[in-house]
Amino acid sequence: MVVLALAIVSVVVLVANSIYAVPSPISSVRIGGFGEVDYYASQPILNAPPGLLVRVYLINGSSMKPVNAFIDVYANAPNGIVHVAMGYSSILIVPFNSTNWLYALGKWASLGIPFSGYNTSMLVFITYMHGNESWIVPLLIPYNVGWVYRALGKSTPLTATLSAATPRYIVVNAYINVNELRPSRVVPVRLNGTVTDPQVFGTYNGYTVYNCSLSGPQPPNIYTSYVFQPTSTCLGFNGSLPIAWATWSNGVIQNDQGLQLQLAIDFSGTINWDAMATGYGNIGTSYSAPENWGILSAEFTIGSDVTQPGSLYWYYGGATWAIVNYEVYEVWYVDVPIMYYVGTTTVSEVLYVPPNDVYGYAFDYGNGPISMFYNGSITLSQQYFGYPALNASTIIEYAAFEYTPYGGELWECNGPVGNASTPYGTVYTITLGGVNTAYGLSAAEIGTELGGLAFDVLVEMATEGEATPLEILLNYVGSSIFDIAGLLIPPQTSSTVTKTTLGIGGVTAGTNLYISVVNASAVYGLPTFGFILNATNFYGIPSSFTCKYGKVAQIG
Amino acid sequence: MNVKSLFWFYFGFVFVGFASSLWSLLTSVLTVMPIPLPYWLLYTPGDIVTAGVVVVALLLVLYAYLGVALVLSKLLRGLVPIIMVIAFTIGLALLLAKLAIPALAALIIAYLMLIGTYSVLTSIATTRASKALWATATIILTLIPLILMAGGLALMNYVKYMALVEQAMAIMASAIEAWRLGVEQ
Repeated sequence: MVVLALAIVSVVVLVANSIYAVPSPISSVRIGGFGEVDYYASQPILNAPPGLLVRVYLINGSSMKPVNAFIDVYANAPNGIVHVAMGYSSILIVPFNSTNWLYALGKWASLGIPFSGYNTSMLVFITYMHGNESWIVPLLIPYNVGWVYRALGKSTPLTATLSAATPRYIVVNAYINVNELRPSRVVPVRLNGTVTDPQVFGTYNGYTVYNCSLSGPQPPNIYTSYVFQPTSTCLGFNGSLPIAWATWSNGVIQNDQGLQLQLAIDFSGTINWDAMATGYGNIGTSYSAPENWGILSAEFTIGSDVTQPGSLYWYYGGATWAIVNYEVYEVWYVDVPIMYYVGTTTVSEVLYVPPNDVYGYAFDYGNGPISMFYNGSITLSQQYFGYPALNASTIIEYAAFEYTPYGGELWECNGPVGNASTPYGTVYTITLGGVNTAYGLSAAEIGTELGGLAFDVLVEMATEGEATPLEILLNYVGSSIFDIAGLLIPPQTSSTVTKTTLGIGGVTAGTNLYISVVNASAVYGLPTFGFILNATNFYGIPSSFTCKYGKVAQIG
Repeated sequence: MNVKSLFWFYFGFVFVGFASSLWSLLTSVLTVMPIPLPYWLLYTPGDIVTAGVVVVALLLVLYAYLGVALVLSKLLRGLVPIIMVIAFTIGLALLLAKLAIPALAALIIAYLMLIGTYSVLTSIATTRASKALWATATIILTLIPLILMAGGLALMNYVKYMALVEQAMAIMASAIEAWRLGVEQ
């Protein structure tokens, strides 16, 4: 009889699992070495409100244990960030119906875009202190606004196009790896009420810089309830954001009259904007939406179309990008408050790009978004990130046309230069990016990196399309493993293309042109490339550079 | 035939199924509850796979036991589960050694032998109900790869439910057998 009872219970549980009566993973995302996000579909569970659940684990050597940390959660809105919840514990639950989260969701709903058209994210900071050392780990938790609406039983026309099963629980396992992450020092500081104004707020040509900290209806009570006191500064950029650009110097105007330049873009499919943080690099996708930019090219000739130094850029309109500076203080109230500086981190994230956004190209002669990259953001990035935006790690010496006593020569330094014969002469081309590559930054997280030897084996089988042996395992293990298999199958959507091409025509033996490439994603996470054209040396006048591929063509 | 030895196979089969279901039920619910948990108790994809490997290992031991018990009872069809266990172990070892093609060959043999094992279980079933259940489970097991080959991964959702039905039938059949054999003792 006992055996029969056991069997019946097993079958009931099997069925419950398969129809999402109990939590069942429907998606999983790995964020570098910093965390893992699992999304569970489920029927309501008693004492577990639908929402975001953050768990913090301390990794020290081979041990991995839950640990108390200061967990601080912000919701990204289209135009800024909203402080939603915080607490000192090894877990923090943030229900979907938190007042401030609902406030941010209302901002998204008011856009009137069907929820299936984009994914936004939550911005989570985990601060762990041990002795006088501290670690602050920032994480981006992607989610869909529609999931919240569905879990809360709200129905609007915007939820109509959601997929059948949507998550009810978003569980974040954050890892504080004290062996790999560098700590900062906890030091006593004086109470200081002054906030430094970045001096950049204002409206420029095509974009606006503003304070993007949105105060929700109920800001979490910072000063009385917590020993930890976080401060966040949000610097928002709203307007035209560059997709790609080419900048030419005064030297090019003087030396290379008649040179024809062509800047082409081809972006299509779902574009993921990954957030970047100081000292951590890629910390997850902050926003994703389907876009269709291109294939289009803009052409101009040096000396006739343009007669002064400047930039040509492709832009997407109506977008918002934010730099969030986050600081934590620890306050002890003895007789007078004693304050300690715990640490700081800075996150750059794209908050919003309208799906299938308008785009176009424009020239920037000193007051546009490209100038902001060169001038404003250098100051900003030094202030916020502690290093300039355009430095050796973000500037790539790509290729050069050199006028030498032996005639014109083309040197390839860091990548290939193509050439094509046209009725107007030879056109040299540099193409960056391609299918499914987000500009050299691999996607921070795909379900295939779920870890564990056995799992890697499964992945291998699934990715090689060998479904039959997989079935054997699946049969033994039961239906829960099918959810895993489902996670491994890439979505059946069209492939994503992110490609930028610079074409150069009218090259003669006398052409002097040094082509540098700026990888903006390495600093800001903007999937953007810029070309900088100089006549005498690469950008920044490097004292030395190597041309990996050497001389590849003799011109004239 | 030594009835007692087969009783332990059926009991083990049901027990492993029950334990893995219980584990998935408990951990999945606990994972979404706001209580601190050790990492290994979370229902994460990594942990599910680990649990799956444990279940596979236990079932292989059970099938090996079944095979040996049958052979000792002078039933040569006991060789089928034994070959299955050996082929599966070899396949898994080759897979871990990253030899995909030979691993695939070994695993296909193991799968065919698994269908064979189900047929053997059908043939030795002592009640009409369990016989029918094992037979249906065998048919489903045979159909799954054919369906996947014909329709590809797009049919994964249907296959998922088929596998679910197959698993439920195998567990119920084992339970009936274990009950029957337990009563006869």
